[in-house]
Amino acid sequence: MKILEASKIYKSYGNKFNKQEVLKGVDLSIHQGEFISIMGPSGSGKTTLLNVLSSIDKLSNGSILINGQEMTKLKEKQLAEFRKAHLGFIFQEYNLLDTLTVKENILLPLTLSKTSRTVANHKFKEVAEELGIFELQDKYPNELSGGQKQRTSAARAFIHEPSIIFADEPTGALDSKSASDLLNKLSQLNQKRQATILMVTHDPVAASYCSRVIFIKDGLIFTQLNKGNETRQAFFKDIMRTQGVLGGIQHDQ
Amino acid sequence: MTSKQLLFRNLRKNLKNYSLYVFALIFSSALYFSFVTLQYDPSMDAAEGSIKGAAAIRTASILLIAIVAIFLLYANNLFIKRRSKEIGLLQLVGMNKGMIFRLLSAENFMLYFGSLLIGIFIGFSFSKLIILLLFKITGVESIATLRFSTEALLQTLIVFCMIYLLIMLINHLFIKRHTILALFRVTSSTEEQIKKVTFLEMMMGIIGLFLIVLGYYISSKLFGGDFTTITELFLAMVIILGSVIIGTYLFYKGSIRFIFHLIRKRKNGYLKVNEVVSLSSVMFRMKSNALLLTIITTVSALAIGLLSLSYISYYSAEKTAKDYVAADFSFTDEDQASTFTETLNENGIEFEERSTEVIQVEVDLSHISDGDIEGDLVEGTVLPVVSDTAIEHIDLSSGEVILSGYNDLLQNFIRLKDTGALELNNQKFTYLGLEDEFIVSGYFTSGGLPVAIVDEEVFTKFVTEANPDIQKPSNTFYGIDITNKNQLKEANHFFNEIMATSNGPHESQLNLSNNQKTNMGFMMFIVAFLGLTFLVTSGCILYFKQTGESEEEKPNYTVLRKLGFTQNDLLKGVQQKQLFNFGIPLLLGLFHSYFAVKSGWFLFGSELWTPMIVVMLLYTVLYSIFGLLSVNYYRKVIRDAL
Ligand SMILES: Nc1ncnc2c1ncn2[C@@H]1O[C@H](COP(=O)(O)OP(=O)(O)OP(=O)(O)O)[C@@H](O)[C@H]1O
Ligand SMILES: [Mg+2]
Repeated sequence: MKILEASKIYKSYGNKFNKQEVLKGVDLSIHQGEFISIMGPSGSGKTTLLNVLSSIDKLSNGSILINGQEMTKLKEKQLAEFRKAHLGFIFQEYNLLDTLTVKENILLPLTLSKTSRTVANHKFKEVAEELGIFELQDKYPNELSGGQKQRTSAARAFIHEPSIIFADEPTGALDSKSASDLLNKLSQLNQKRQATILMVTHDPVAASYCSRVIFIKDGLIFTQLNKGNETRQAFFKDIMRTQGVLGGIQHDQ
Repeated sequence: MTSKQLLFRNLRKNLKNYSLYVFALIFSSALYFSFVTLQYDPSMDAAEGSIKGAAAIRTASILLIAIVAIFLLYANNLFIKRRSKEIGLLQLVGMNKGMIFRLLSAENFMLYFGSLLIGIFIGFSFSKLIILLLFKITGVESIATLRFSTEALLQTLIVFCMIYLLIMLINHLFIKRHTILALFRVTSSTEEQIKKVTFLEMMMGIIGLFLIVLGYYISSKLFGGDFTTITELFLAMVIILGSVIIGTYLFYKGSIRFIFHLIRKRKNGYLKVNEVVSLSSVMFRMKSNALLLTIITTVSALAIGLLSLSYISYYSAEKTAKDYVAADFSFTDEDQASTFTETLNENGIEFEERSTEVIQVEVDLSHISDGDIEGDLVEGTVLPVVSDTAIEHIDLSSGEVILSGYNDLLQNFIRLKDTGALELNNQKFTYLGLEDEFIVSGYFTSGGLPVAIVDEEVFTKFVTEANPDIQKPSNTFYGIDITNKNQLKEANHFFNEIMATSNGPHESQLNLSNNQKTNMGFMMFIVAFLGLTFLVTSGCILYFKQTGESEEEKPNYTVLRKLGFTQNDLLKGVQQKQLFNFGIPLLLGLFHSYFAVKSGWFLFGSELWTPMIVVMLLYTVLYSIFGLLSVNYYRKVIRDAL
């Protein structure tokens, strides 16, 4: 089942006189249960693509269907409504509220959807245990390690069982051990809950956990790799190779 | 870019942040200038002559300087801390400290002296209004002429220049002392680390609440008869003050956090939408501002309290005068009374005259006094006695007695029961109760004791048995009431003319009430303006704190909006947060002043509620403006967060 279908999306910044086209007609579709990563050189428009797809930023042109709902037609308030029901977010700089405890942070999406307290508690227990942070529930973010923070962030993204989870360089600030920990958890959740994840990353290792890798360059999709039945190691090598080509082209310019 | 361009750019960029600072600066310099103008104005002599106004105005203007100086220094401190990163950056790109200091000083100079000039201009235009207001409140009749006073201008300039130099000095030290690295850390080090509530904080929280309640409790007992000597009374007041102020400090330091912690604990991690923004943020931030909030609360309470008391006194001037002077004009000497009535007749002013015979009799109040004050006050009391024929609607039989016209103030010290036995001249009478009416003037009642009313027969007997040692020089009260109250002013004019030369206790109710209005009006005027300045400056400081906080919390709003919080959700949370931020100090200040006023208001007048509520409402409304401004600022921050 297609969860997300984006066609011919354009995005430019600046005004009439000083315009910068960042996305130049990206087509993309995502099926339920996919774990996708987006890679590409710095400044190629990855974050922009993610923001546009997740309705945080406005499109200049094109259409985005999520769960059959046309996003570009929604008003500010409806978008907020949509985000809270259907989307989950994980970001590079943790994005936890420092005045809330781990549990309070994780429960935020349920607070918004006015889920009953008992159901909320039940869901919290489930997801927190899966991510191994149940014991930390009463701690404040500044008492956590980077990896723990990021797992908290992930728990918050998963708890309300959104249609898609968007993650922008979730492992960017983590050491390799915490990063692989997190990625293992993410792919576990992806398998177990059939959760759909779209992740931007610079790290080929992180990308190798995914089922599909999309490379973008200069605002267009350059190529895609499918993992298929390959092992993670083999997939990793493929990614490295493609990245080399991508980087090489960039240098030739 | 030349440094001049840089200067103007910076100024333009910062002007929006500074707008309220500029406003407060204009406001306070305007107020100061008009005060000093008042001080040097010849038309003030009229007011000064009767009420020692000059000293009061001078004291007020010194206090005004103190408030304004502290405010400006504090605000400057906030701003320079907020801009420390910018200062560090400028150093990083190669500007030296001297250049940066000059840049900052020049920027400040334009802002500061620009506002000062506007302030002086506004102050001058409003000083006539202010003096008119003063005359209106105090009832002083004088023409409000006003000239521009160079002395006032000079004094204002000198004072504000000194404050400016002080600010510059502090900025200089700030820039000199901080290394670039430290500059980048300044903002983050002022906010404390977010931690769990410790046991110590819980203790502080509980002790704080306890101390405040203790202070309130003692204050309610202050004039109830538990503290009888001056030393005890003084000690009690010191204890109240100490325990309330320390309690307030601990309240901000621990109680808020403790209470909010309990609330949050009960929620078990599941916060409501608006609590996400309000509860947790207030919980952590109030603690680091404990000292500031304590000062604001205490001074607000002081201002509200003083204002209420002087307004109570002003408001009850007429009633107090009525209690003390039992007719429009009262005499104790027949000749003086008749001189006055003749004048009234000549000028065609109608009046009613009554004379009442009063004798002083020893009384034993011990059977009807409520409470445990024994001793001189109750046993050896001398009360004025009149016959029931003097009062139309009262007719008593020989064994009965009624008391009438008991001063509110004294009632607080010796409370009387409704019925019981009363001994007059060592004879037992049945006491039938207390009437409100004041029958004779303060001269006979020693300033506020009730008058005993007995049967005519008993009264004649008392007259023959009267103890000459305790009688007043005069035994007759002459009361003159003007029939047409429109002529009262005219009559009073004659009274003042005739009685200016003759001495002896004779009184005009109008004079007494006007006198009190003048004194209290002046007091009110000064306290109100000081209070207003304090309100505006402290409101500004809270507002600045909030604008800083909103910038710091902007990333949080970004996250929340990404998660699907609407702007409205966040705004509701922010409104609730402002309700706490501004409401808690306000509410605490109101409570403090309420208990302070409640404990001793009867020393000042006879009406508690109306004047106090008027003052409190006014303060609340003005104060809320700053809360609304903060919400408005947050609205913009939230809108721009995504
Ligand atoms: N708010 C904005 N206003 C103007 N230009 C922007 C804005 N955000 C991004 N850009 C521009 O769009 C381009 C793409 O930015 P984007 O953040 O999407 O890159 P990215 O692929 O995420 O890079 P990185 O790997 O470094 O995070 C950049 O050239 C950037 O300058
Ligand atoms: Mg990016």
